[in-house]
Amino acid sequence: MVSKTEETQLSNLESQVDNGGGGAWEYLCLVRKLKVRRSEKVLKHGLSILNDPKKRSSLGHDEWTLYEQVAIAAMDCQCIDVAKDCIKILQKRFPGSKRVGRLEALLLEAMGSWEEADNAYSSLLEDHPLDQAIHKRRVALAKAQGNMSGAIELLNKYLEIFMADHDAWRELAEIYASLQMYKQAAFCYEELILSQPMVPQYHLAYADVLYTIGGLENLQNAKKYYASTIDLTGGKNTRALFGICLCSSAMGQLSKGRNKDEKESPELQSLAATALERDYKQRAPDKLSLLTTALKSLKVSS
Amino acid sequence: MAEDLVLDTAIRDWVLIPLSVVMVLIGVLRNFVAKLMRSNQVPDAKIVKEGQLIVRARNLRAGANFIPPKSFRARRFYFSNEENGLLYVPKGQAPNPQAQMFSDPNMAMDMMKKNLSMIVPQTLTFAWVNFFFSGFVAAKIPFPLTQRFRSMLQNGIDLSTVDVSYVSSRSWYFLNLFGLRGLFSLILGEDNATDDTQRMMQMSGFGFDPTKSLGAEKDSLDIVQHDWAMPKFEQRAEAVLRKALR
Repeated sequence: MVSKTEETQLSNLESQVDNGGGGAWEYLCLVRKLKVRRSEKVLKHGLSILNDPKKRSSLGHDEWTLYEQVAIAAMDCQCIDVAKDCIKILQKRFPGSKRVGRLEALLLEAMGSWEEADNAYSSLLEDHPLDQAIHKRRVALAKAQGNMSGAIELLNKYLEIFMADHDAWRELAEIYASLQMYKQAAFCYEELILSQPMVPQYHLAYADVLYTIGGLENLQNAKKYYASTIDLTGGKNTRALFGICLCSSAMGQLSKGRNKDEKESPELQSLAATALERDYKQRAPDKLSLLTTALKSLKVSS
Repeated sequence: MAEDLVLDTAIRDWVLIPLSVVMVLIGVLRNFVAKLMRSNQVPDAKIVKEGQLIVRARNLRAGANFIPPKSFRARRFYFSNEENGLLYVPKGQAPNPQAQMFSDPNMAMDMMKKNLSMIVPQTLTFAWVNFFFSGFVAAKIPFPLTQRFRSMLQNGIDLSTVDVSYVSSRSWYFLNLFGLRGLFSLILGEDNATDDTQRMMQMSGFGFDPTKSLGAEKDSLDIVQHDWAMPKFEQRAEAVLRKALR
């Protein structure tokens, strides 16, 4: 996560570097530290340092880090030749290194030769079976080829060992959701909520999945998680507000004719509807009529 | 003591300063030798997995109230059932760390290397100091001290009449040996190999038994009372919205 202050610092540095104010190296360091994706800028400014022997040698050992950074950025921009040169230099300096091997496989991946890249990763994994980055690259590779079931399989294998890696859980949840395997996705989102209980996005995504599965119990739970999202975001999340309305309307239809022994916070839906109306009035007044008809059809607006 | 001992300046030039310089240089040398001999350890898949498992189980314990009761029960069963639960370690199967240490020659080798780089130079310097400088009064502390400090400052001099503020050469060696840590962290960086205290911590860490922490985690997971927090959130959301709408 990039905090606000870091973001402003980054953009300040970026404009300074773009306007020729110097500080290119500091900018590159910050990009690396924050792990943001500014490949074009990195490529441009990184190369300007690397092509200047005096600047380059003043970096000392950091020179090699810069080569790596520029190589990855070049691959992202499809400047295969630049990447190749960088990797060649690194290869010469660090023969037999795992990190350079990873870069080479990444290059194969960038060139679209999936088979070779996969082979390269496999052989790297044989030597370093516990390298998380390589495992993740293999998943990305499978995903890039459209091989979702393969990606799922690899991710599951990865999570068997690194089961506390919530980014991997998130990736798996999204893949499952995209394949409409909602039960599995729900499990992954539960796992995410467990590892970071205060992140509203996970609550929201979990609620979405539960709502999509349907059934009275799931709808009730979905409504609860929409409610928790509202609580965590201070009522600013439009999607959660809509979710409340949709859930209560769907629950109303399901429990029609049945005795309503548990009446669940009837106020919440009307409150959500009012909040929605107010938000639309403030931000998009021309769409307000759409909202009112939609809410009327859901029979939540009193 | 009426007449103070007068220390020859030659003692300062040929004992005190050389001793300190040699100690510093040996410390630096030791650091580089240790760096040279250090073998990078390949982490064991099982140990990594156990570490991650504990993190995940702890997450489950901490965030239990945020997931539906059914999901929580399923997870708890997955972790701690008595047949193939991940946290369940059958009795008697727990590997003995001592035996593990001996069965893994790499581990023993590593320890030996560490010890060699620590003990050998220490014995050598101690012998050297003993041989050349035994019995010297090498320095004088500018403030008086009580008799209790005699064994610390006048190691190697068996005179009870000498004032305690005089430091013998052998004591100076010991003071250097233990007192230069701050200087080393200054010139060699924070995580240098000369840090003995850290090594001690590592040594005691050898007895760490992952299966024990697995069992502890299982026990604490077993007694967790699941109290779903979500129903409360509905009321809280209502309150939030009401406040926002006002």
